[in-house]
Amino acid sequence: MTYFSYFKAEFLVLLRRKQDVINALLFFITVIVLFPLGVSPSPIFLAPAAGGIIWCALVLAILMAIESMFKEDYNDGSLEQLVVSGLSLPLLVLLKILVLWSVIVIPLLLMLPLLSAMLYLPEGSFWVLVATLLVGSPSLFLIGAIGSALTVSLKQGAMLMLLVILPFYLPVVVFATGAIKAAQEGLPYSGLLAMLLAISLLSLVLSPVMTAISVKASVN
Amino acid sequence: MSWAWFHKLGSPRWFFLWTKSWALPLFCLGMVCLLLGLVWGLAFAPTDYQQGNSYRIIYIHVPAALLAQSCYLSLGIAGFVFLVWRMKMAPIFINAVAPIGAVMALMALVSGAIWGKPTWGTWWVWDARLTSVLVLFLLYMGIIAIQNTLEDIVLADKAAALISVLGLINLPIIKYSVEWWNTLHQAATFTLTEKPAMPVEMWMPLLISVIGLYLVVAGLALWRMQSYILEREHRASWVKQEVVGDGL
Repeated sequence: MTYFSYFKAEFLVLLRRKQDVINALLFFITVIVLFPLGVSPSPIFLAPAAGGIIWCALVLAILMAIESMFKEDYNDGSLEQLVVSGLSLPLLVLLKILVLWSVIVIPLLLMLPLLSAMLYLPEGSFWVLVATLLVGSPSLFLIGAIGSALTVSLKQGAMLMLLVILPFYLPVVVFATGAIKAAQEGLPYSGLLAMLLAISLLSLVLSPVMTAISVKASVN
Repeated sequence: MSWAWFHKLGSPRWFFLWTKSWALPLFCLGMVCLLLGLVWGLAFAPTDYQQGNSYRIIYIHVPAALLAQSCYLSLGIAGFVFLVWRMKMAPIFINAVAPIGAVMALMALVSGAIWGKPTWGTWWVWDARLTSVLVLFLLYMGIIAIQNTLEDIVLADKAAALISVLGLINLPIIKYSVEWWNTLHQAATFTLTEKPAMPVEMWMPLLISVIGLYLVVAGLALWRMQSYILEREHRASWVKQEVVGDGL
């Protein structure tokens, strides 16, 4: 096994098991539909809240997708093979996260124009929303991978993982929705984007190592 | 100076035997200090010219908030020690202290809400300091949940240590939230470097109750650690000796 062959295999596995990815995306749409129906469908409420609604749905959908990212590999034993493969485990984990990120975030970006129009997001802040998604979502995947690796041995690990990981998502959500709000009010938002990027970079450094530790602890 | 005594503390047996007689005196001394501080603060300290009597909740709020942060800091350090040196005592410590810290965070939140009603006119605001203490409470609950849910004890220890270390990032946010953001919450009451702005009759009982609560928590933590040691090492012969003694 080489890094490249692993990357290719992961990619193919995810593409052939599309249902997992599709489920996460459907969940994302359902949560978004919930807000206009549950709170108020009027543009007066939706326009300022749109960024926050999209980000809340995003966090929940990503958690759903990440929760099972190691499950199949754990059950069929290929997770153990990664540990004994002789390749660097943090790097392999990083590749796996990268594949999952691209497979989920690209369709999300494609759906975003439609969904933000449905929520009456002001046009000027649409590109800010895209920017927050691009610089903020890597940290969600990276942090979530730690929790996923820790709870992989549990049959019903989803709830526990949500409980443990969600507090770490709060700063990302705060800065992302803060940037969208600032853009809507005509304030400078580049500082908030820089904070999101900083969180993503910090988790890029820490998460692969931490996830590798958790994977090793889970498979032994 | 010899560090042997320090290294010995890493062994559950030594720790147990060495701290066996410490928990009760620490707890009692702490209780006396805490009661002294509370009675002095609640009944005898002068009233505040702005807030009247409602400021007295400071004598519960500040010690609990300080302890909530100190407990988390110690959890983070213990988690780091466990991940790097794999000391056996570190997960026992995390196990023992996490629920205490959670209670302290909850006490800080509840007493803060009660204090907020007369002074700010509201039980809760989504202010940076309040929110970050709420997140601290959630982190504590996460650590407790992951310790209790994972059945493999090696994995559970490692998971709790990892989450403790990661959660350390929240502490500077709590500490500096009142300085970075313009919030309703006032700045720190105590700093190590400056003289407090309150008169001595007001801060003295506060200091005493803070020290008292630290001692009480230390005593409780030692007790909880000792029972975890007995539980985890139940196969060791010294534990049998300890529990059964000279006969049933």
